Amino acid sequence: MDLPGRETDSMNYDVLVVGSGIGGMESALKLGDMGYKVLLVEKEASIGGKMILLSKVFPTLDCASCISTPKMAAAAHHPNVDLMVYSEVEEIDRNGKGTFNVKVRKKPTYVNPSLCTGCRQCETACNVAVPDQFNANLAARRAAYIAFPQAVPKKAVIEKEGSSPCTFTCPAGIKAHGYVALTRSGKYDEAFNLVLGETPLVGSLGRACYAPCEGECTRDMVEGAVPVRRIKRFIADRYYQGHREPVYSAVEKTKVHKVAVVGSGPAGLTAAYQLALKGYEVKIFEAQPLPGGMLRTALPSFRLPKAVVDRDISNVTALGVVIETGVRVEKISQLREEGFDAVFMATGTNKDVTLGVKGENLEGVRGSLDFLRSVNLGVEPSLKGKIVVVAGGGNVAVDSARAAVRLGAQRVIIQYRRGREDMPAHRWEVEAALGEGVDLQPFCAPVEFTGKNGRLAGVKSVRMQPGEPDSSGRRKPVPVKGSEFTTPADLVITAVGLTPSTGDFEKELKLNGNGTFAVNTETLQTPVPYIFAGGDAVTGPSMIVKAVGQGKRAAYFIDRFLSGESLDGADYDRRLGPVAGEAVLGRQESLSRLEPVAEKEIPLEESKAGFSEVELILSEEEARYSAGRCLDCGVCSECSQCAASCPANAVDLGMREEKRELEVGSVIVSTGFKLFPADAKPQYGYGKYKNVITGMQMDRLLAPTRPFNTILRPGDGKVPDSIAYILCTGSRDKTVGNPLCSRVCCMYSIKQNQLIMGSLPMADVTVYYIDIRAFSKGYEEFYNQAGGMGANFVKGRVARIDEQESGNLVLTYEDIDGGGVIQKAEHDMVVLSVGILPNTDPFGLFTGEELEQDDFAYVKETDEDVSPGKTSIDGVFVAGTASGAKDIPDTILHAGAAAAQAAAYVERIRRGK
Amino acid sequence: MNGEVRDLREVIREELLMKDVILGAVKDGPRTVPEIASAIGRPSHEVLIWVMGLRRYGHLSETGEMTDEGYYRYGASAGEGS
Repeated sequence: MDLPGRETDSMNYDVLVVGSGIGGMESALKLGDMGYKVLLVEKEASIGGKMILLSKVFPTLDCASCISTPKMAAAAHHPNVDLMVYSEVEEIDRNGKGTFNVKVRKKPTYVNPSLCTGCRQCETACNVAVPDQFNANLAARRAAYIAFPQAVPKKAVIEKEGSSPCTFTCPAGIKAHGYVALTRSGKYDEAFNLVLGETPLVGSLGRACYAPCEGECTRDMVEGAVPVRRIKRFIADRYYQGHREPVYSAVEKTKVHKVAVVGSGPAGLTAAYQLALKGYEVKIFEAQPLPGGMLRTALPSFRLPKAVVDRDISNVTALGVVIETGVRVEKISQLREEGFDAVFMATGTNKDVTLGVKGENLEGVRGSLDFLRSVNLGVEPSLKGKIVVVAGGGNVAVDSARAAVRLGAQRVIIQYRRGREDMPAHRWEVEAALGEGVDLQPFCAPVEFTGKNGRLAGVKSVRMQPGEPDSSGRRKPVPVKGSEFTTPADLVITAVGLTPSTGDFEKELKLNGNGTFAVNTETLQTPVPYIFAGGDAVTGPSMIVKAVGQGKRAAYFIDRFLSGESLDGADYDRRLGPVAGEAVLGRQESLSRLEPVAEKEIPLEESKAGFSEVELILSEEEARYSAGRCLDCGVCSECSQCAASCPANAVDLGMREEKRELEVGSVIVSTGFKLFPADAKPQYGYGKYKNVITGMQMDRLLAPTRPFNTILRPGDGKVPDSIAYILCTGSRDKTVGNPLCSRVCCMYSIKQNQLIMGSLPMADVTVYYIDIRAFSKGYEEFYNQAGGMGANFVKGRVARIDEQESGNLVLTYEDIDGGGVIQKAEHDMVVLSVGILPNTDPFGLFTGEELEQDDFAYVKETDEDVSPGKTSIDGVFVAGTASGAKDIPDTILHAGAAAAQAAAYVERIRRGK
Repeated sequence: MNGEVRDLREVIREELLMKDVILGAVKDGPRTVPEIASAIGRPSHEVLIWVMGLRRYGHLSETGEMTDEGYYRYGASAGEGS
C-alpha cells in the first residue's frame, strides 16, 4: 500500500480507526466523506465486526447483511479510507506535536491479495479443520479460509501459527506435518508426492530414518508421538505398489550447465535429483558396483530392503540423471576438464576407524563397513557355528550383530565400553538385537585380539567402570584393574566409528583435521568455487535425513552459483520458528488419550532365519488412525494442496509479517465488545449439555449464511420443537462480576423468537426473564409483536438446567407470576441470551499516556454528557460499544460523534492549537 | 445423551479422518445424523459437526423432507469438494 503523503504535514493519515465493526466503519466513512485520510485497521481477515454475522436487526427485522455490506463495500472502496485487515495495532504513542506514532503489525495471510479471486479452491483442498469463529464455533472451517461469504475483502487467508515442531526439526525440511495431514485425509499419493518434492528417498527414509520429527512431536507429551516415519513408509509402500516405476519422464534440460555428483548416497542422490528438477544435466559417479552409498552397503536389508533403495533411486534416474558405477573419482579437476561446471562431493564416510589394539590385522578381524558391505552384496559366507564379537555401541555395531545372527552365528556378543544407556544406538534397535539373542556386554572393551597362524582365535577384553567426566560431561570409562578375560572368537567386527576417505583430494581441497571437507556450512561451497561438498563427508557420520538435507542445500546453492547469483544472504531456510508444544496443548481444555499403534515385526524365528524385512507396515486403518492423532501444531500443515489448487497462483507460503510505523493525527478506538462466556454460569450447562447454545450461536443458525441447513439442535441434528430463552445470562449479575444491563439481549432474543416462529411455525418459544427492557423507538411494539406471534414470556429466574437422556433439557425456575413457586419445564433446546462485556484490548495499546477505564472496564468517556467519545488522552476518541453497551443505532450515532471529535482535533493540531 | 462432550477442537480436527467413514455410511442412501451415528458408532453430537463440515465443503447435502421425528437425511453429493 502506498501511504499517502501530505504536502502540509508529515502525517501518513489524519485519523487511525482501530476496529472495523459497524462503529469503526461509520467513523471511517464519515471522516472520509469530510475529506480526511483514514486508516482503518482490523485484526480479522474481513471488516464488518459482529454485525455482519447477525441474522437480522431489531426492531425492523432488516437483513443485517443488507445493511452491513454496503457499508463494508463503501469503506473498502472509499478514496480516503485505506484498509489494513488481518493487522493489529501494537502501539500508539502521542508525540510532542499532538499527533500519534503508531506501530501496526500486518500478519501474513500467505495469500497474495492482489492475485486471489476468492474462489475458495484453497479452502476446499485444505486438509486441516479448525473451529469456525465466524460461525460461533458451531462448525468447522479450514486452515485456509475466507472469513465468510460476504467478507470484504473477499480474499483467502491461511492460518499458520508457526512451523509444526516435526517439520521444523527435520534436517531435510521434509514437511512431516503436511504428509501426516494428507494421510489423515486419505490423500496418500499427494502425501507421497509432498515428500518426493524434497527427496527421492521416500521409501528408504520411511524405514531407516531416525525420525527426529517424532522426538519433537507434541503428542509425545501426552501418550506417545505420532509415528511419522511409519506413516511415511506406509505412503511410500502404497505408492510403489501402484507405481512400479516413476510416472514422470526425463526433465527437459533447460540449463546449459552440467553438474557432476561424486557419490550416490543420500546426499548425492538428493542433490542430483533437485538439480535435475531445476533443469541441469547431472551425472553421478559411484565407486561401488551399485548405487546407494550407505543405503546400499551399510544398512542391512532386514532394515532396508534393497528393492526399496532401487525404487527410490529410480526416482532420480527417471529424471534423466545418469549414474556411472564402479568409477572412483580421484581428481576433481578432471571432471571440470570433462565439461562439468560444478561438482558436488558427497563421498560419505566409507572407512572404518580402527581400534588400535594388538592383533587388529589378524585374519578374522574386520571393520563393520567391510562386513556389512559383503553381507549386502550377498558374498558374506555363512557364520554357522561361529562365535562373533562386535566391538562398539552404535547403530552400525548393532546392525552388524543382527546381520551375524542371520548368517547363523552360534553366539554373537556386543562389547561396549560404557553402559547400555550410553549406547549411541537407538534403544529399540538394541532391544531388537537382544530379542534376537545377541549377548550385550556393557562396560567391556577389547584390548587385544589373539590368534594362531595369523588367524583370529580370541578376544582379550577388560572390564570398565565409569571414571571422571570427560569434556562432553559423560563419565569416561576406565579399566578395572585385573579384570581381563578372554573370549574365544571366530570373527571380530570393529564398529567404533566411520571416517571419510578423502585422502585423494587433499591436494585439491582443504580438509579438516578429521578428514572431512572444509566448506562454508551455509552454502556448502569449498574454497574452490565450483566445488561443493556435503553429507557425511562434511558432517562426519550422521543421520540419513541430515545427509538428505545437505544434498538439498547443496543443490540450492549450486543452482545459485551456476546462475551467477550471490550465495551470501540467500536466506535458504525460511521456515518459521516452531510452535511450542505447551501452546498447542493449551488450545484445548481437554485432550483424549489416543494410544499409539504398537510397532509390529515378523515372528522372531522368521526374523532370525534370514534377511526378510523385520518391521511390518502399518495397515491403512492404522496409518489413518495414527495420522488422526496429529494435533496440527502449526495449524497450517504446509501440505501445499492450497497452492496446487489455486488457479491464480496466489498462495505464497513464504510470506512473512510486516511491521509498519505511521504518524496519524488522531485515533478512534472502536474495538467493540466481548460476549459473556456462557460456561461461566455452570448451572446452565453450556459446553456440557449439547443442546444449550448462546444467542450468538442462534443468530448464526438463523442467518442466511448459517452453518447448518436449518435450525438444528447441536446434540443430534433434530429440528427443535420447543426452544427456551434465558435472558440476562451474564448481565445484571453480580455473581459473575457484571452488574450492568447489556441493553441488547432482550431485543435480540425477541428478534430471534420472531425469526424462529417464522422458520419453524410448529415450534414453541418460551422466554424466561426478570424484566424486559424495551427502551428505544419501536422496541415495546416489537416485544408485543413477539407475544402476539405466540412467544410465551415467563417471569422467573432459571436456577438450573438438567440434561435428559433424550438430550432434552429440564429447566428449574421460580415462577414469579405464578406465586413464586418452583416449577420445572422441559425443552429440547435452550438459548442463553448472553450479555456483553468490555473489550479491554485497547488499554494495552497506548504508551506514555494512559487510556483510562470506567468503573466497568469500558473505555472511559471523560465528558460523556457534552463531549461524547472524548477519552482521557487528548486526540483519542472512542466509538460504539468500546465505551459501553449499545444497540446498533446508538453505536452508529456514537461513531458519528467520535468522527466529528476527531475531525475537530485534526483541524486544531493543523492550526497548531 | 450419548457420549461425553470432547474438546471441540479435537472433534473438529477429526472431520477429515471421518469423512470416508461417513461417506461409507451413506453409500446406500441418505441417513439422519442419529442413523449415521449408530452406523459408525460415534456420538450424534460429534457426527453432526462432521456432517455439517462435510456439507459445507460439498461432500454431503440434505435430501428430501424432514422425517416425522424431526430429522433431515444427508447423502453424498457431487459438490465442490467431492
